[in-house]
Amino acid sequence: MKRIFNFLLVLTLACVMALCSVACDNGGTNDTDAGEVDTATGNTIVKIMFHVDEKSTEGQAYKKRIEAFNTAYKDRKIKASATYKARTVGAAGYETELLNNQVEGTLADIVTFDAPNTAAYADSELLYDITSLIPQDVQNDFYSLNTYKGKLYGLPIQESSAGFFYNKKIFRELGIDVSAYTVDNPWTFDQFKDVCGRLKNAGVTPVDMRIDATKDETATYLLYPFIYAAGGEFTSPDGYTATGYFNSAATADGFGFIKSLIDAGYTSYKIGVTDFFDGRVGMYLSSGWTIPDLDNKYKAVFASREDWGLLPYPKSVNAASATGSWSFGITNNHHSDKSAAKELLLWLTSAESSEAITTATGMIPARKAVNTDYEAGSPEYTLLKQLETSGRQRPVTVAYPTFSTCFNQVIAALGTGNVMELLNTQASTLQREMDNLKG
Amino acid sequence: MTGSALIIAAVFVAGFVGIAIYDIATSRRRKEKYRFGTVATAYLMLIPALVLAFLFVLLPILYSLGYAFTDYNLLKPNNIKYVGFDQFKKVFEEIGEKGTLYHALINTLVFVVGVVPLQIGLALLLALFVNKPLKGSKIFKVCFFAPVVISLSVTSFLWLQILSPSESGLLNSLLGIFGAEPHDWLRDPATAMPCIIVLSAWQGCGYQMLIFLSGLTNIRQELYEAASLDGAGAWRKFTLVTWPGLRSTFIYIIITVFIGACRILTQPMLMTGYQNHTVTLSYYMYQQGYSYRHVGYSSAVALLMTIVIGTVTLIQRRAFREKN
Repeated sequence: MKRIFNFLLVLTLACVMALCSVACDNGGTNDTDAGEVDTATGNTIVKIMFHVDEKSTEGQAYKKRIEAFNTAYKDRKIKASATYKARTVGAAGYETELLNNQVEGTLADIVTFDAPNTAAYADSELLYDITSLIPQDVQNDFYSLNTYKGKLYGLPIQESSAGFFYNKKIFRELGIDVSAYTVDNPWTFDQFKDVCGRLKNAGVTPVDMRIDATKDETATYLLYPFIYAAGGEFTSPDGYTATGYFNSAATADGFGFIKSLIDAGYTSYKIGVTDFFDGRVGMYLSSGWTIPDLDNKYKAVFASREDWGLLPYPKSVNAASATGSWSFGITNNHHSDKSAAKELLLWLTSAESSEAITTATGMIPARKAVNTDYEAGSPEYTLLKQLETSGRQRPVTVAYPTFSTCFNQVIAALGTGNVMELLNTQASTLQREMDNLKG
Repeated sequence: MTGSALIIAAVFVAGFVGIAIYDIATSRRRKEKYRFGTVATAYLMLIPALVLAFLFVLLPILYSLGYAFTDYNLLKPNNIKYVGFDQFKKVFEEIGEKGTLYHALINTLVFVVGVVPLQIGLALLLALFVNKPLKGSKIFKVCFFAPVVISLSVTSFLWLQILSPSESGLLNSLLGIFGAEPHDWLRDPATAMPCIIVLSAWQGCGYQMLIFLSGLTNIRQELYEAASLDGAGAWRKFTLVTWPGLRSTFIYIIITVFIGACRILTQPMLMTGYQNHTVTLSYYMYQQGYSYRHVGYSSAVALLMTIVIGTVTLIQRRAFREKN
C-alpha cells in the first residue's frame, strides 16, 4: 500500500510539474494587439515565416535583411523574429505548416505564400486586407500585386518569368538563326515547330518542355502560357466556372499544340533532367532560376554566355508568358494592430531588399525602382521585358490546388490521350470542386 | 479544439477510473487471491500505454469521426458546420461518377491483390532460404532485411532512377542491350502499378522474413526427422510439417500486410504524383484533406475505409480460425 501511495505521489508531482511547465511556457513575453512584447527589452516582436531553408542562398539573403531591420528599428522597439520552413515536394511541407498554424491559431504575423494561393488564402481570411496599409505609390512600383476581388493581400518578393534556354553551339552548327525572335517580335507556334523540326532532322532532341514535371507545380507554371497564347482560358473571371473555359476550343488548341510537339517527337516525357545541360537537347523550357546554374555549373558544355541564350515564349493568337512567384502577406492572426507588421512588410519589399534578395536568387526584382540595368538581349533583359509585355498570371481561383492537379493530369496523359476528352473530364472535376467551394 | 480534447480526455479518464474502481472493488468482494494492491498497481502500470493510445489512437479516431459529419475546411477552422451525412453522400457520388475516388479504390484493390501474395511469398521463400545452415546466411539475412530499415522515400527515389524513362535509366539501358526500346514504366498505366507493387514487396518482405524465421525456429526438428523416416520428400515436409507449423505466424502476417497495403501512400506520391492510374485511397485522402483542404470529406473517406479494412480483417480472422 505504501508503494502505491508513493507511486501516486510521484505521479501527482509529475502532473503538477508538467502543468507548471505549460503555464510557464509563455514566460518572458506579453501578448498585445500589435504583437508579442519582450518584457525584458520592451520590443514588439513581429513573427515571420519563410518558405526556404535558413542555410540556402535565398534563406541567407532573408536573414541578412531581417538583421538589418532589427538594427534599423532598434530605437522604435520593433524586432523581427523569423522561422524558416523549407519546402519539400512542391510546397507541400511549408503549406502544411501554414495550415496547421492556422488551425492552431498560431499564425506568424507575416508569412510567405505562392502567388496562386492568393484567392484561397484571401477568401478564407487567412490573409489580411492590406489595401489601405500600403501607400499607393508603393503599390504602383510593383510589376504585379497579389489581389483578390479588387483588394490587395500580398506583395511579391521577386518576379519570375520563363523562356526557352537554347544551346547556341548546336544552333550555330546547324545554321539555325533565331536572333530575330525577340520579346518585341516573338516567334510563332509554326516558327517554333520549324526550329524543332530542323533540330530533330539533325538528330538532336529538339526541346525539353518539362512535360514530365507533373508531380508539383513545375509543369503548370511553365506550360500554362501556351493555352493563353492560343486564346484559351481556364476559368471565368470570378474563378468559379471551369466548364466552357477549361474545355473550350481555344484551350484545346493550346493543349493540342503541346500534344503535336509530343506526337512529332519534338519533346517527350523521357528526356533526362540533365540532358540539356549535357548538350544532348537543343532547347530547355525553364525559369530565371536556371541562369545561375548555366553561369556557374556545366562549364564543360556551357563555358560562357556565348554558348547559351534565351528565347521568349512563342505566340499564336496572343503573346503570353509565365509570371508569379512567392509573396509576403500579413496574416489575420489574433494581433489586431498591424502597424509593426506593416513596417516589416514594407522593409522586406523595399527596393533595397528586392535588390539584395534577387542578387542572391538570380530572379527578377519585384520593384520597378530597382535599377536592373540589364544588357539588351541578355537573358535577364529578355525575362524582364517579357514580364512587362506579355506576363500573365495563373488563374485566380479559390480552387487553385484542384486546377493545378487537373492541369498536371492533362499534361501527363497528353501523350496518349485525346485532348478534348481529357479536358472534358478535368473540367468536370474542377467544376465540381468550384461548386463545392462556392457552397 | 483544445476544449473538446479536454472533454474527451475527462470522459476517458472517468471511464478508466470507473472501470478500475469497479474491478478493484469486485476483486475484493470475490475474495480473489489477488490483493487490492496488486490490482491497483496493475491499473497504474497501464496508465502510460493508455495515455499514448488516447493521444495517438483514440483522439484522432474520435476527431475524424466527428469531422466526417462537418464541412470542415482546413483554411476555415473557425467556421465548421454540421452537415449530417452530406460528405458520405459525396463519397458515393464520386464513386458512382467514376471520379478520382473510384480510381483510388480500384488501384488500392489492385495493389492489395498484387502485393499481399507477392510480399508474403517472397518473405517465406527468403525465410526458408536463410533458415538453412549455410555459410554466410547471416549476411543474406542482413541484406534481405536492409530495405526495411531504409526510408521509403529513399527507396522510392532509388527506384525512380532504376525506372527512369530515359535511355540512360538503369532498367531501360539493361533492356536496351537486348534491343528493347526505352519504356516509360511509371507513366504507362499498364506498368506503373505493377512497378509499385514490386518495389513495395521488395521493400517490405525483409520484415515478414524475420517473423517467418522466428516461426520456423519454433517447429521441432523431430517432426522433420519423423517425416524423413516415413519417406517424405522436401515438398511433403513443407506441406505437412512446415506449413502447418507456420499457420499462426501466417495469419498474423497476412493481416498486417493486408492492413499495411491498404494504407499505401508514399510510393505513388513520390514516384508518379497524383495520377488516376496510381492514386490510392490514402493518397486520395491526403490530397483531399491537405492539398484541397477538405478535412470533412477526407474524414468521411477515412471512416468508410476504416470500416471496410476492419470488416475484411475480421473476415480473414474468422476464415482462418474456422480452418484451424
